[in-house]
Amino acid sequence: MAEIVVTGMGAISSIGLTIAENLYSLKHEISGIQKAKHFKSHYSDSLVFGEIDQSDESLLQELGLEKGLGFTRTTLIAIKAFREAITNAQLSLEDLASTRTAFISSSTVGGMCYTDDLYHDANMQGKPSEYVKNYEGSDHALQIVRLYGMKGITDVVNTACSSSANAIALGARLLETGKVDRVIAGGSDCLAKFTVNGFNSLRILSEEPCKPFDTNREGLSLGEAAAYVVLERKADVSDTKKIQAVFSGFGICNDAFHPSATSDDARGPRMAMELALKRADLKPEDIQYINAHGTGTPNNDLTESFAFSTLFKTVPPFSSTKSYVGHTLAAAGVLEAIYSILSIQNQEVYPSLRVEEPISDFPFQPTLKYTPEVAIQHVLSNSFGFGGNCTSLIFSACI
Amino acid sequence: MYIKDLYAISPQKTHDGSFENGDWLILNEYIYKAIEPSYQDIIPNAQLRRMGKAVRMGIGVSLPLLERNAKPDGIIFGTANGGLEDCIKFLNQIVEYNEGTLTPTNFVQSTPNALAGQVALLSENMGYNMTHVNGSLAFESALLDASLFFDEHKEEEKSILLGAVEEISDYNYNIDRLGERFKQELISNNELLNSKTNGSYCGEGSTQFYISNNPENSLAKFTAFKQSSYLSQNEIGGFVSDFLKEQNLTISDIDCLLLGKNGDVSTDSWYQEVEQLFGEKPKVYFKKSVGEYRTVSAFASYLAVQILNGKAQHLIENGASAQPHTILIYNHFDAIRHSLILIQK
Repeated sequence: MAEIVVTGMGAISSIGLTIAENLYSLKHEISGIQKAKHFKSHYSDSLVFGEIDQSDESLLQELGLEKGLGFTRTTLIAIKAFREAITNAQLSLEDLASTRTAFISSSTVGGMCYTDDLYHDANMQGKPSEYVKNYEGSDHALQIVRLYGMKGITDVVNTACSSSANAIALGARLLETGKVDRVIAGGSDCLAKFTVNGFNSLRILSEEPCKPFDTNREGLSLGEAAAYVVLERKADVSDTKKIQAVFSGFGICNDAFHPSATSDDARGPRMAMELALKRADLKPEDIQYINAHGTGTPNNDLTESFAFSTLFKTVPPFSSTKSYVGHTLAAAGVLEAIYSILSIQNQEVYPSLRVEEPISDFPFQPTLKYTPEVAIQHVLSNSFGFGGNCTSLIFSACI
Repeated sequence: MYIKDLYAISPQKTHDGSFENGDWLILNEYIYKAIEPSYQDIIPNAQLRRMGKAVRMGIGVSLPLLERNAKPDGIIFGTANGGLEDCIKFLNQIVEYNEGTLTPTNFVQSTPNALAGQVALLSENMGYNMTHVNGSLAFESALLDASLFFDEHKEEEKSILLGAVEEISDYNYNIDRLGERFKQELISNNELLNSKTNGSYCGEGSTQFYISNNPENSLAKFTAFKQSSYLSQNEIGGFVSDFLKEQNLTISDIDCLLLGKNGDVSTDSWYQEVEQLFGEKPKVYFKKSVGEYRTVSAFASYLAVQILNGKAQHLIENGASAQPHTILIYNHFDAIRHSLILIQK
């Protein structure tokens, strides 16, 4: 199989509006989870969120887009991250319009992010809102396709919380099989009453900022983010300085246990990690850092830890960067892929924040402090979703 | 990709096989509702009660297919919207109860990957599992995913459950009506293509295929497919002829055309453009059977397989020729997203 490399990255999250800002926050242990400034909900005061500190109006203005044309927040943050990624990879407008360029995105809330407008339109209460044609999960991607005149393969996946990890894997497969020459892959999800109330009804939201892998963890914090990576075949990249990391492998499977919980024996998470290692031709001991799914719910962190304990003789350093940004749903996989790549590039581990008492059931604990000067060659990044969708990705340093 | 088996729940009587054997329902409704079989024998009652329509129809097609075939190595679905009824029921609760204490059932059922997850769960399948939500190209994306899967496993025999589902709820019907996608006046599906107004009628259903890389005992094969968005109308001819060239085919190799004409005068001219390219050919206008919805190309593929196997001949217009061997499907949605699917015996 052809070697796949990452040649561009773009991200917007609650800890930064660019990759550089995200990196600064990761290094300085600055969490983005706090009371919301822009997101209006019944829970704005009682819960905390990983909210992007930029209003819709400011995003529209920065991106040079007109108001009133159906650009949702999901779309706006997607365009911003997409733009950073293609600039970073030095893709030209011709490259983007080429039929040899694919765009694979993902979202869970998609165009349904303005819950009140959707309510108004779905129940036919008066004139249609500006978003009446923008509710689909794929709308943000279609807007980007239109703006950049993209003519190649496009796709949008939704496997809940593992969505954008699957978008990256799908992109790599398109490159491996020679279907296209470059892929922009990732995802976007913004805060919405729909998801906040959904997770709240499942009683898995934490009132305090989440603390993944802590004994007294109470649930997850929701966040919003958009992030994209540009993937190419290594053999096609003439300027090797553009190569940021190697995408070595992935594993995708289904836990086949429960619609919204992981199996006790963590068979799905374990199988996804094993498949990723197999595809990357690596052994468990080759992994120097795991960017865990680590949502902060009692169920996930326990079962994920159990999966680590059965797969690794010695569990490598691991952490959940969701402690910085919250759970950004469809965007989580690609955002954490980017954080994994930053770990490799800077040879450092970003910790699980706010852990006071690590889960005591296992003889290992997450990395609790920012740790520089760690030799990291291979990183495993996990994403598990509702519906049993489990995905693990492996990124490696480029030698 | 060889099609070994297929099944569909649709607004025609596909659930009991009578549609492909010549049955034809005249539909005189704004909404072409799927005819659902009794699920009593296939879905446990406790689970059935909790399922939204999209998941129910999807499972109702999956389980019979899984029962008569070996366990597939992957489950791949395409759906533009998934369980919209549940989704908006939950949304209505959010607004009407001012974000009070809500029950999670609708939320969990509304996620588009709920179907692929439920099928995996009910059939204990831990294999590859994916849900594509690429709007009106969601089924085409699922096809692409399946073709990548087989490309990656050339050495071994592999099989996949591939399909699509879309449901009508009052809510998405309202949204699309506000978006001016549906007709205001009522005419029957027999008259659909004579309409002189904008919009069409809304359909729904689930269509699934059991596909394999082993040609033995196959009904037909997905030979190729192609998608594009935001073409201009003068590019559509080139889009089709480039596709044929890529497949080393000429116009005369296509025995039958399946076209997505839906009676919308503002966008049916795109289909006429493609029809002209091919001259006199047997044709099927598949939306007369099931209406317009975003993953209707999966149903068109189902029809193509039936026609290639000597069934559903009553749908062929412009005279049935000798038994067709090669069928081309062209569909677009809103004249924005276009797809071609080539199916051969």
